[in-house]
Amino acid sequence: MPLPVSCGARVSPPERPMPELEVVGHPAAAVRAHEIVTGRALYTRDLGIPGTLVGRLLYTPIPCGRIRRLDVRAARRLPGVTAILTAADVPGENSYLYSIPDQPLLASEVVRFQGEVVAAVAAENEEAAARALEAIEVEVEPLPGVHDVLEAMRPGAMQVWPDRPNVHSRLVIERGQVDRGFARADVVIENQYLTPWVEHAFLETEAALAMLDHTGTVVVYSPGQSPHRDRRQIARALGLPEVRVRVITPAIGGAFGGKDEAHVQIHAALLAQATSRPVLIERSREESIRTHVKRHPVQVRYRTGALRDGRLTAIHVEAIGDTGPYLGAGAEIMACLAATVFGPYRVPAARIEACTVLTNNPVCGAMRGFGIPQGQFACELQMDDLARRLGIDPLEVRLRNGLETGDEIPTGVRMRQAGGMKGCLIEAARMAGWDRRREIERAPAPHLRRGWGMASILFTVGMGRNVPDFAGASLDMALDGTVSLRTGASDMGQGAHTALAQLAAEALGVPLESVRVVAPDTDQAPNAGPAAASRTTFVSGNAVLRAAEPIRHTLLQIASEKTGLPLNVLGLRGGRLIAEGETLSLNVAELAREAALQSRGLHADGFYAMEYPEPHPPDAYPHAYSVFTFATQVARVLVDVETGQIKVEEIVAVQDAGQVVNPAAALGQVEGGCAMGIGYALLEELIVHEGRTLNNSLEGYLVPTVRDVPPIRARLLEYPEPFAPYGAKGIGESSLTPTAPAIANAVADAIGVPIRRLPITPERVLDALERGEDGRVR
Amino acid sequence: MSEITLRVTLNRVPMELRAEAGKSLLRILREDLGMTSVKEGCGQGDCGACVIVLDGEAVNSCLVLAAQADGAEIITLEGLALQGVLHPLQRAFSEMWAFQCGFCAPGMLMSAYALLLHTPSPTRDEIEEAIEGNLCRCTSYRAVIEAIDAAASELRREGLAAGAPDA
Amino acid sequence: MTVPDVLSPSTLTEALDLLRRHAGRARLIAGGTDLIPRLRLGENRPAVLINLSRVSIPGLRREGDWIIVGAGMTHSALARAPEIRKHFPALACCCQSIGGRPVRNRGTIGGNLANASPAADTAPALLIYDAELRLLRSEGERCIPISELFTGPGATVLREDEMIVEVCLPLPRPRSGASFIKLGRRQSMAIAVVSVAARLTLDAADCAAEVRLAMGSVAPVPFRAATAEGLLLGAPLEEERIRAAAAAAREAASPISDLRATASYRSRMVEVLARRALYLAWEAARV
Repeated sequence: MPLPVSCGARVSPPERPMPELEVVGHPAAAVRAHEIVTGRALYTRDLGIPGTLVGRLLYTPIPCGRIRRLDVRAARRLPGVTAILTAADVPGENSYLYSIPDQPLLASEVVRFQGEVVAAVAAENEEAAARALEAIEVEVEPLPGVHDVLEAMRPGAMQVWPDRPNVHSRLVIERGQVDRGFARADVVIENQYLTPWVEHAFLETEAALAMLDHTGTVVVYSPGQSPHRDRRQIARALGLPEVRVRVITPAIGGAFGGKDEAHVQIHAALLAQATSRPVLIERSREESIRTHVKRHPVQVRYRTGALRDGRLTAIHVEAIGDTGPYLGAGAEIMACLAATVFGPYRVPAARIEACTVLTNNPVCGAMRGFGIPQGQFACELQMDDLARRLGIDPLEVRLRNGLETGDEIPTGVRMRQAGGMKGCLIEAARMAGWDRRREIERAPAPHLRRGWGMASILFTVGMGRNVPDFAGASLDMALDGTVSLRTGASDMGQGAHTALAQLAAEALGVPLESVRVVAPDTDQAPNAGPAAASRTTFVSGNAVLRAAEPIRHTLLQIASEKTGLPLNVLGLRGGRLIAEGETLSLNVAELAREAALQSRGLHADGFYAMEYPEPHPPDAYPHAYSVFTFATQVARVLVDVETGQIKVEEIVAVQDAGQVVNPAAALGQVEGGCAMGIGYALLEELIVHEGRTLNNSLEGYLVPTVRDVPPIRARLLEYPEPFAPYGAKGIGESSLTPTAPAIANAVADAIGVPIRRLPITPERVLDALERGEDGRVR
Repeated sequence: MSEITLRVTLNRVPMELRAEAGKSLLRILREDLGMTSVKEGCGQGDCGACVIVLDGEAVNSCLVLAAQADGAEIITLEGLALQGVLHPLQRAFSEMWAFQCGFCAPGMLMSAYALLLHTPSPTRDEIEEAIEGNLCRCTSYRAVIEAIDAAASELRREGLAAGAPDA
Repeated sequence: MTVPDVLSPSTLTEALDLLRRHAGRARLIAGGTDLIPRLRLGENRPAVLINLSRVSIPGLRREGDWIIVGAGMTHSALARAPEIRKHFPALACCCQSIGGRPVRNRGTIGGNLANASPAADTAPALLIYDAELRLLRSEGERCIPISELFTGPGATVLREDEMIVEVCLPLPRPRSGASFIKLGRRQSMAIAVVSVAARLTLDAADCAAEVRLAMGSVAPVPFRAATAEGLLLGAPLEEERIRAAAAAAREAASPISDLRATASYRSRMVEVLARRALYLAWEAARV
């Protein structure tokens, strides 16, 4: 089967030759491809254990109020109902969320948002569970809620919590002399940007199958991005030691950050513990949209000072994120936004303030990008505004300010590797024909306008300094030379397991097919941290390499002993021994058996923690990131100025990807990021009214269909990342980030008026055309 | 609730079972017939994850009641490979990364299969039409389109119909 | 979902008999693409479902100057039927615009009409083609023009024991051209924000001998903009008149604001789409 020609023709910068790699850098099929295409891949709902009870959660009828009455006695007596739990029935801690666990598992006195759980039911079948839910008597007295984030910040505003201020945190990152920077600027531009609540819309909704095994250990199968972290939270709630809980990750049907927090695992475990039966909880699509964490809606006020030639002198940014009533990772997300909002540019002076605000709106959490897309949207529209104001080409203004290796950014960090910034920018412009864009018909019909826009973004890899960021991995070689890889890192479709397998195969010199990735299992694999922050390839990848090294060394030692050849001429490739590049007849299986005969182990654990060897200025942002990726996208749109409808004609996407582990998978990530970005730009918005989402279905919340995604021309550039495994790093989130601003800039180019709010709907286009001025956010 | 005797041909094998007349075909396939490849993504025809081939046409199995499926010929993804040999669609999807998380893949493959049953040389527009009812949140659909196109080419090269026993 | 009893008659007569016996507590189910989602959400709770999958109603036939379409024809079958594509292209177009392929393979024209959504995709096309509906009950039958079917959102003149069995389409006269435009929030699988269908028949002097302009999603029911039609009837077609007709169509609409669009946007779009649809129909008529 021929591979598509568009599969990322790799372009390495001329001064860096491509290393000779056997497995890494090759477009191997996904490790689970066969299961998936034969329909045998097992997702949580497919596991099918006989005797499993149906678990259902009862959610609050209203978003904000005091629970006056919660009576489950009648419901408990119904035939087929096995258990009903309320807050009083939680043996351990009745709270969760991984960073700040302030969300109750089961609400007791008050409900603070529409997704609050008041009871958990286990029943013999769906009908009994449904009857139980209906029979639970719950009365919630409405209380006025806090639904406007700016209102929530006013002194004297009604408080979401009696003992906590609505403004949970105000992070300030400051560097350089901002006032002086604005004073010497030739032009100062200030704008307000607004992004909405966004839904992950993973195809597989949340589910968890929990049971007690024969040892009394609580076992939970669930699609989650962090099995070890889930284990900890489950143990905490059940009042058990962590090692008495086991979390296993079956196939995951998409996550995008929405399965980073625990969803129904803990409730399922509570029910399993209470009933001593297996319990499966599945969320319907409506429940899913209504209850799981969302992307933060953020308001950004961005003030930019620049010289006449376009060089930035100062920025002042204020970002306000509505995190809902429960903090979870809200402050971290706003911090991540703050730590990147200056974009991939040299900014001599910056003052950045990020507020995390509590309300009774939907609870927000991680979503692909973790706050960075919202900030980069504002940043990139600012750059285009600057270009327009100064009469400089948008490409030029970005080149003039673009970061280079060694530059310092406002968090106090020096860029280890920034070649990708200008590399991606220049390549994307070239591929898109940026210099010749005005030769193409701008008004192909009286009612149509064509526009081009670009966006160049900065993205991070890892969790940041002074934040735990580590992973373990285990490799074990069997006597036939095949290898099992045990990782706690989840593959949610981003190709993590395939990448890790390729890294292991490369390091051990064995064919990829002989590496088996064992499904993440806290009983078997060491903690790898969350599959988030685009960190898996880097951190888990390094752990895998560290596990491979001792095994490889043992094999080569034995080979040296057997052949009499010195170690330094020996290698392993494709499962065979090589000497000075020549393949010998000895294969890995034979070496493995010899190892066993000599009682030499072929098992090793590797551990890697993100490194920060550079000194960090004491006055710099303490959680700064040190590993970055860059990406530039150019969008071409056609706007119907009578209907406001926007057609994206083409997207060019160039991605800095370190050393690409799997070009086919990486290309898919970039393209998929663009598709999701199109949704973010044009279609996706959760409509929330007084704390209730009104569009809780895939009919009301629209994600792109095949007809909504144009051809995407993607290219991966390789700037090997220091400290990264073979120079490889993750791109799962940076691929999404440039799309919406590129499209927004293209629309502004088409209609002559910027729209500073997402999504850019037809109505907002007509509105902007009518007002004919800089789109003021309403 | 009325129970009926449901007679269907599932993946070319005649089956008979008792089922509640109003139970969805999606649930019958998954729970009563063990076809776990059929996925529920929304339960109401908005996403295409549950698409199967019924009497030669792609349909959302969540929108078919048991009573409406009586007498039908049903193909699910489990029936695409024959005697362990992958269908060209399956090989193409696998080799060309036409999925990432894989959850939409069964529905996509079934929509593609239905297309190739009737349209052995589909244009790009016809391929898009066949899958416009299948949402994918991971890919940009490009790889899916190319995989379907590649599979169609291979079937034509080998002179096989999409649903032929030795396809 | 609370699943009601499902009865599966084998003939039309049986179906009508069941409908009569269970009148008021039964719903017919054909494709189920509208009904099943509503059942799932508890928006409808009939005691009985009458399943029409075994009942064969003749599909498509020609009777003199009429094309008769069985109510059980699916949207995808209609979209590809040569007679529909040739004589009623706007109908083929609107059927093709419904949902995605799997929905089109199940949803029926009868179901789409009986469901009577203000956004019913087939309605504007049927209105411009002067469709008549044959309604059947145990006690007899009647024919009504499509314009008399809808009485309000989700409501029709159908009696409790009555069903649509046929959609009858008179073949358009020569020099007749039609168009259908649907505006949705995305390019596929979208409920219409506004939909417009237009048909013009030109006489020997290139004046409009027949004018039909119908709209969906902008009023409690799909309807024809009679005033707009009147402005064009009997006159030569020209830009000023078309613009006036489009403006009149806008006046005739009474859209609401909902999750998909505001009333004011819909109102503006009626005018834009009406103008475009009329131009397209005029183009098609002149060919």
